[in-house]
Amino acid sequence: MSQWWSKAERALARRQNLSSELEQEMDAHLQLLIDANLERGMAPEDALIAARRDFGNKTIIQARSYQSWQFPKIESVLQDFRYALRGIVKSPIFSLIVMLTLAVGIGANTAIFSTVYAVLLKPLPFPAGERLVWLAESTGRASGISVTWINFEHWQAENHSFEAMAGFQNADHTLTGRGQATLTHAGLVTSQFFQLTGSRPMLGRLFVAGDDKPQAPATVVVTQSFWAKNLSADPQIVGQTLTLDGTAYTVIGVLARDPAFFLRPVDYYLPIRPSASQVARRDAHGSMRVLALLKSGLTLAAARADLNTIMERLAKVDPGPEDNHQAYAEFLTQQRTGDVKHNLLLLMGSVAMVLILACANIGSLFLVRMTTRVREMAIRSAIGAGRGRLVRQLLTETVLISLLGGTCGVLAAGFALHILQRFGPRDIPRLAEASLSLPVLSFALLLTLAVAFACSIVPVLFSRNVNFSVLLKESTAGSGSSGMGHAVRSGLVVTEIALAVILLFTSGILVRSLWAAETVNPRFDPAHVLALELQLPGSRYKEDASIVDFYGRLETALRAEPGIREVGAVNCPPGGGDCGDWWYSVVGKPTPGRDDVPVTLINVADSAYFRAMQVPLLAGRSPSDEDGPSSPAVAVINQELAKAWWKDARSAVGQHIKLGGPYMKGPVIEIIGVVANVPDLGLDSPPLPQIYLPFLQKVIPGMVVAIQTRGTQESAMGAARKIVASLDPDIPIQSLKPMDQWLGATLTERRFVAALLAVFASLAVILAAIGCYGVLNYWVRSRTQEIAIRMTMGARPVTILWRTAMQAGKLGALGTTIGAACSWATARWLKSLVFGISNHDPITLVGASFLAFAILALAAAVPLWRSTRINLIETLHEI
Amino acid sequence: MSTVDNLSEGEKLELLQGTLEVLILRSLKLEPNHAYGISQFLQQQSDSEFLVDNGSLYPALQRLLQRKWITPQWKTSPNGRRARYYSLTPAGRRELLRATSKWQRFALAMAKILAPEG
Repeated sequence: MSQWWSKAERALARRQNLSSELEQEMDAHLQLLIDANLERGMAPEDALIAARRDFGNKTIIQARSYQSWQFPKIESVLQDFRYALRGIVKSPIFSLIVMLTLAVGIGANTAIFSTVYAVLLKPLPFPAGERLVWLAESTGRASGISVTWINFEHWQAENHSFEAMAGFQNADHTLTGRGQATLTHAGLVTSQFFQLTGSRPMLGRLFVAGDDKPQAPATVVVTQSFWAKNLSADPQIVGQTLTLDGTAYTVIGVLARDPAFFLRPVDYYLPIRPSASQVARRDAHGSMRVLALLKSGLTLAAARADLNTIMERLAKVDPGPEDNHQAYAEFLTQQRTGDVKHNLLLLMGSVAMVLILACANIGSLFLVRMTTRVREMAIRSAIGAGRGRLVRQLLTETVLISLLGGTCGVLAAGFALHILQRFGPRDIPRLAEASLSLPVLSFALLLTLAVAFACSIVPVLFSRNVNFSVLLKESTAGSGSSGMGHAVRSGLVVTEIALAVILLFTSGILVRSLWAAETVNPRFDPAHVLALELQLPGSRYKEDASIVDFYGRLETALRAEPGIREVGAVNCPPGGGDCGDWWYSVVGKPTPGRDDVPVTLINVADSAYFRAMQVPLLAGRSPSDEDGPSSPAVAVINQELAKAWWKDARSAVGQHIKLGGPYMKGPVIEIIGVVANVPDLGLDSPPLPQIYLPFLQKVIPGMVVAIQTRGTQESAMGAARKIVASLDPDIPIQSLKPMDQWLGATLTERRFVAALLAVFASLAVILAAIGCYGVLNYWVRSRTQEIAIRMTMGARPVTILWRTAMQAGKLGALGTTIGAACSWATARWLKSLVFGISNHDPITLVGASFLAFAILALAAAVPLWRSTRINLIETLHEI
Repeated sequence: MSTVDNLSEGEKLELLQGTLEVLILRSLKLEPNHAYGISQFLQQQSDSEFLVDNGSLYPALQRLLQRKWITPQWKTSPNGRRARYYSLTPAGRRELLRATSKWQRFALAMAKILAPEG
């Protein structure tokens, strides 16, 4: 850079030299001509005039002489730069508006792009991350289900498509013996996991092949942050033990860097240990999925076929109920971002539209400025500036102002990104990694330059069609409008209105979907219910009786609190996500085909749960304390399941359901009651069939205790904490929060997208309004004389108003029509995002069109009003 | 690039591309000269068929200077005026020889083709 600069400086110094030299030379030349003329007997003045005429235009000669030295390039660029700077400073309001518009457009785009880059584009931080594949099993009905241990071992040993494979799953364990009992998060992995994620030890070693064998000693690899925070960064940690769920694990190493593969914080890694049944049975599922590195050059389809050959062979040699299972393989990047991709692309598209609007506005501003500066241009052209030179100057000015605006935009993006990360949904993978990195900044720069060129296209095209010398003869600034300028301006209004309609429609659909989801009647009252999530440590609560006893004592103690009205436990609370589903069939109904066995959610609730949650019981009864392990198996089903098989809830009671379906083992249970649907997966998901098994017949250590409070939630929370600690200090509370937070959490992503889109739509509306106002205002101004003449000839203000309004109305109608058509066509994009309404919702479309039209009307009002307030005498004098 | 004065349009000859440089070199062959002198020389030698416009002469001089075929020097003219005199460099002389033979062959070839038949 400095080298380039000194070169330019030297060139300029030489140019200075040359300039004075040439000046002197030409003066001498002129003198010689004068001498010759005097010799011929001319009068001194005539001799001077004749010599000047013969010599020609000194400036042009000078300019052309420089050209051979290549100075003009640098020099005129610098000159353009100076002019541009002067132009920017001279019209501060214009410049400020342009820069602000750009800052908004580029800022929003850069911020969204930085998230798109981090989430979708940036390579995964693993070696050969683009070849990492997520493997699971799939059936005809469900894909991505867990891989059984035996299948995994066969895949690992017999595949020809992968360089390495590692199983992984999540687990939570209670750490004891180091201060207070804490709930910790483990990553359960097989030995090649660290190799696949490129992890290295900081202390000790990582897992090797033998560590995942059942008879190997229990070992643990801790992450650096866990080591620093919970193990006081003890350099002698290797060889010590950690007590997890009562079992001692020997620390064998500390990770240098956590691979951050699991989408939640991980404190340490343990080798996956298959259970006895998983080693024995090929259909014994845990929750293990598999990470694998595809050999380079192979396609995913080939790898999938390879694994399926193994599955087919296994079905022959080791037949079982899962012979129809196939391998599921998806690239990790795809698997990770598949869900968010759609949302992010939608956001990117919308924000791009905002930028187009910003460009249109700036282009139209430049156009207006161009016409007011047309005389300046004409004069410069008359004294020798070529058209190319004028265009270049225009471009320099646009680029400079765009760069200034772009810089503001990047600053704004930094701020916006901060907000996005703070308030954005936590489950978007790698959102936290989004930053104004080099690729993002390059994107911003490219965008800025693209904007600069897009914005200057209109004025440049315009300048090509202008006859400067004609313009010079005309008097008023506004007379520079040509037919083309008019068409361009009308086009701008139509485009802006159309874009505003599209964005209003899109955001309208999403906001209405959000509204529908937020106002779903959850069929219970979550406002006064607390959710206490517990996971009893398996080491000390091995027996069902001890678990039942603990929850029994807990509920009794909680009920005794004055601020607590009712207490009941459930395995999977509303909004808790998918806690497991299973096949089922109905006794007495036709047997379904092998691939048509229906699936239902399986939940576990105790006798007081439906009361505590106030879930309406539609028929029959809730489970009671008599429905114990020795009494007949019973269950409560939800309305959705009842609706699928019987004409009303009442007829379902007393019927029998076979869990596992006709082709698998499973108990036959009697339906004792039907309850209303509650939103299981989230407020914005349709109800799914669900079976609630009584807690006493299906004891599980992890339950969510619903606590219906009477007074303030704070005091009840305090009481709950105290009671849990008094019953067993080694049980960590996984979470304790109002029940509606469980539900609200399901809408974070929807809220995020809807809020951003609403922001973009508002920006679009503001930009469109400003743009339309600018164009219409200019339009009226440039017609001032015409209007004045019409009015003197007797036209009434109403006629003038009507005429102008009709013009604006026509543009508005065209814009809304185009916008509505585009919205309708692009609405299929929204299909997966709508809830409660159709993605082709006519009311939203009409609303959006109406709103956009209203914006135009509002933007047109002031210029229209002004058109009738023209001072006739003054205007006519100007003609 | 018009090298003919606009006023005598139609009557004067238009210089072919690249010829002005050779003519300038030729005008400096015998003695150094200034810009005014060069244009006088060319006009006289061509019997006023070529009228050299300063707008072409000066850029041409700059081009020759850039190629180091001529070199400038401030001197006092016989009638007592200071002027910038250009003289041929050795490279300029070589260029003149090369270009002269080229242009002669060119002129001869043109003449052969354009000569009246028979």
